[in-house]
Amino acid sequence: MNLSLALPLLLVVPLLGVVAIALGSAPRKTALWASWINLIPGFLVSGVVLRQGEVLYGPEVTNLREVFPVQFRLGLDGLSLPLLWLTLVVTVAAIGVARADVKRAKEYFLCLLLVGLGGLGAFLSVDLFYFFSFHEVALIPSFLLIGIWGQGDRTGAAWRMTLYLVLGSLVLLVGLIGLVWAVPETARTLDWRVLTETFRAQPIPATQQTWLAILLLVGFGTLVSLVPFHSWAPGGYASAPAPAAMLHAGVLKKFGIYGLLRLALPLTPLGWKEVSWIVGLMLAGNLLYLGLASLAQRDFRWLLGFSSAMHMGTIFLGLIGGTVLGLGGALVLMVGHGLSAALGFAVAGEVGQRAGTTWMQDLGGLAKKTPKLWFYLMIAGMASIGLPGLANFAGEILIFFGAWSDHPFLVAIAAWGVVLSSVAMLRAIRSIATGPVSSALEAKQTGDLTGIREVWPFALLTALLFLVGLAPNLILGPARPVLERLLQP
Amino acid sequence: MSRWICPEVLLVLTGVILILADALIPAGKKGWLPRLAILLSSVLFGITVWQSGQPMPEAWANLFITDGLSSVFKPFFVLCLVGVTLISVRYPMGREETVRAEFLALPFFSTAGLCLLASARDFLAIFVALELVAISLYLLAAFHRTRVASLEAGMKLLVMGGLSTGFLVMGIAWLYAATGSTEFTRIILEQAGRPASAGLLLAIGLILTGLAFKIAAVPFHAWAPDVYEGAPTPITAFLAIASKAAGFVLLLRIFGFGAFALDSVGWIFRPIFLTMGIATVTLGTLAALPQRNLKRYLAYSGIAHAGYMLLALGTLGESGMGTVVGYLWAYLLATFPVFIFVQELERVHGSADVRHLDGLGQRDPGPALGLTLCFLSMAGLPPLLGFSAKLSVFTTLWSAGEIPGLVVGVIMAVVGLGFYLVPIRAMYWEREPDTVPAQRFPSFLVWILLLAGAAQLVLGFQPRPLVRLVERSLAPTVTGIPQEK
Repeated sequence: MNLSLALPLLLVVPLLGVVAIALGSAPRKTALWASWINLIPGFLVSGVVLRQGEVLYGPEVTNLREVFPVQFRLGLDGLSLPLLWLTLVVTVAAIGVARADVKRAKEYFLCLLLVGLGGLGAFLSVDLFYFFSFHEVALIPSFLLIGIWGQGDRTGAAWRMTLYLVLGSLVLLVGLIGLVWAVPETARTLDWRVLTETFRAQPIPATQQTWLAILLLVGFGTLVSLVPFHSWAPGGYASAPAPAAMLHAGVLKKFGIYGLLRLALPLTPLGWKEVSWIVGLMLAGNLLYLGLASLAQRDFRWLLGFSSAMHMGTIFLGLIGGTVLGLGGALVLMVGHGLSAALGFAVAGEVGQRAGTTWMQDLGGLAKKTPKLWFYLMIAGMASIGLPGLANFAGEILIFFGAWSDHPFLVAIAAWGVVLSSVAMLRAIRSIATGPVSSALEAKQTGDLTGIREVWPFALLTALLFLVGLAPNLILGPARPVLERLLQP
Repeated sequence: MSRWICPEVLLVLTGVILILADALIPAGKKGWLPRLAILLSSVLFGITVWQSGQPMPEAWANLFITDGLSSVFKPFFVLCLVGVTLISVRYPMGREETVRAEFLALPFFSTAGLCLLASARDFLAIFVALELVAISLYLLAAFHRTRVASLEAGMKLLVMGGLSTGFLVMGIAWLYAATGSTEFTRIILEQAGRPASAGLLLAIGLILTGLAFKIAAVPFHAWAPDVYEGAPTPITAFLAIASKAAGFVLLLRIFGFGAFALDSVGWIFRPIFLTMGIATVTLGTLAALPQRNLKRYLAYSGIAHAGYMLLALGTLGESGMGTVVGYLWAYLLATFPVFIFVQELERVHGSADVRHLDGLGQRDPGPALGLTLCFLSMAGLPPLLGFSAKLSVFTTLWSAGEIPGLVVGVIMAVVGLGFYLVPIRAMYWEREPDTVPAQRFPSFLVWILLLAGAAQLVLGFQPRPLVRLVERSLAPTVTGIPQEK
């Protein structure tokens, strides 16, 4: 049997789920089934990648010399494998956390599945047309998720996020057009694997590389909420319903970094070096500015939003370090951050549902009333601080080592970032957990997570945080050859 | 088969048949006339597609040619006709019911003019064909005599159309004075290797002005929103899609394939096209933001689309030409279903106000989904068809090095999403519908909109058929048309 068929299957299964829900089958159950079943093709392709290094699906690359050389091709290698799993797992957890009794459940689960599908497609696509398109598939469902089921200033947040992301995407699109147009006409293709080979043999002129790198940086940077293109992120996540925030902060945001890894680094290496000081400034902004901003937050959701955007700075440090160590660290931290952000937003969502508020001063004494939620809150907080043993620590330490020789100053800033995030998170944990039970909580019948049916999404994310934290080689092993090839001149 | 059995002849004959049938059938049995019109227009569409590459009658050879462009756009126009007939049948005429047959028949004549236009190779033929289109449309826009808005629309269209025709005729006259001919190939031969004379430039400027009215390009756009709002919805659709496309086909014919595909003239007009494109995109997009009437909204959206096409056209390269062709088809497929919906909305609610969309996502999930996909496709969001069109515009601008146009286009695409999301928000966001209509939407609307939405998705995901169409349109002769693989 040809195992590469499992690649399109990864997209077909959620699509079938979407169709089934649209035709009227029970929304939550169908969505959950679809996302669990999708792990099977996930395992199949992972097996192939671990054995052969990569797996491809689609027609052979041909230079059709067409007006529009688009070909539907999928591929997976050691770099996209962890991200594929991140998407699969976070989708399962997000749908697991989503409640069946939400209003307009049909559309709700449809949108969630579509967001997950967009993430999967983007990480699997080899053709730039589909690479870009799949990311945008998630856009409108996110708009609706925030707008219909969100909280707080949901309308403003939905508009801001959607328009901001579209602006970023279009800048990115221009960058991609520029990349493809830098290829001589006879060899024009949209396949990034071929593009990588072409540009390795025949690099783009240096000045042009700089321009393209800037376009890609601004485009992908907006999607990753790099300062100063970050302002959509905290509010958007704070307003989004928990599963949407999990998928967006956990998965979709990683698309930007993945894109830079895949395209900016190997295709415009000189340009990327040239702009790395800008990236340095921006990531320092993420670490310090957003770090300080997160100190000032009084709402737990907003705190998570800011701290999630802030940690992107550390990942970018890995990207400009120019070492395999740093890139590997960035990859591990992407996964770790995805899991911990998803866990954090899931907990925040549950707390919000049960206590009716996420204002931290109203949540005092949560630990006494809901010890299980409290436990997962601690895990999410500790992971995001970078406690050894959890995935984020492994990523951060690798990044720091990888970037030290070239950017010691930035590493120092990043270390300060860790301090800031620790202060913010520990203060939040203190004010939520300790002390007497607050009057707001006292008045409500706030129940804890009950039984395996409610606990499993949290347990799943926690288990994976520990797994990656204790054995980061699970990610680094298959990714190493790919990352080494990325850095080869 | 005789070459005389060509779409143009058949269209005129059908129009005559419809009017005669109306006159001859006794009053009680006119119920099947609309069905006959739908049937005939569909058959004509089949014929047009089937023999789209067939040359025109010998006797017309001086005035008309059959090439890739005409073979791609005749089906386009006849498809518009089918759509217009489909919704004309359902247009509520009130006391004017007795003249329904004329309302159905006139678009056939107009379409015949459009088909001739697609093939014209002589400015005289262009003029005559254009008048055939325009005069039918003046009548149709004012057809609903008892509605003041319709009369106003007809009047505005008449005045503005007359003005634009004036520019065009003046341009043709100057052209004849400057070159001694009105035929494309002769003008090209005559002008080859010579710098453009002042008279020729004036002529082209005047012709361009006349056509800019047709496509509603800034600064000749002001008539569009009023006329679109007032005219009967089927006619609005015809004006917004077929008539606009006709303007672009002529621009392609004149600046891309025909008389002025000359470096000496083209390069002078390139900045004019691009400036007009930038202004049109900007104005169309920004002016659409505050609109609350769907027909006005679509008018401004159409202006913005015209701007994108002008930008692509302004690069004056082959990829720009192809982009315009593909964009027009994408525009047709995304916009027509919305017009069909608008008419049903007017039937049910009495007006095309955006607030009637409130809560539609829950009341009628099928139409709401189809409409959403069409709007998003217009906004140019992947993976829908409109994205390929916009992508193609941006690619063309990039490869031509037109950075200002590209920057404006990108920014306006984002702003554009802002206004295309307004109806989507109204449909899905929680807001209580102001009045729940007693009437429901007919079931065929659900299917048409879902089908249209599916078409956006499928063609957006696999744009190859559209690419083939574009390649075909760029072929200089029919024999050179690459066959489907």
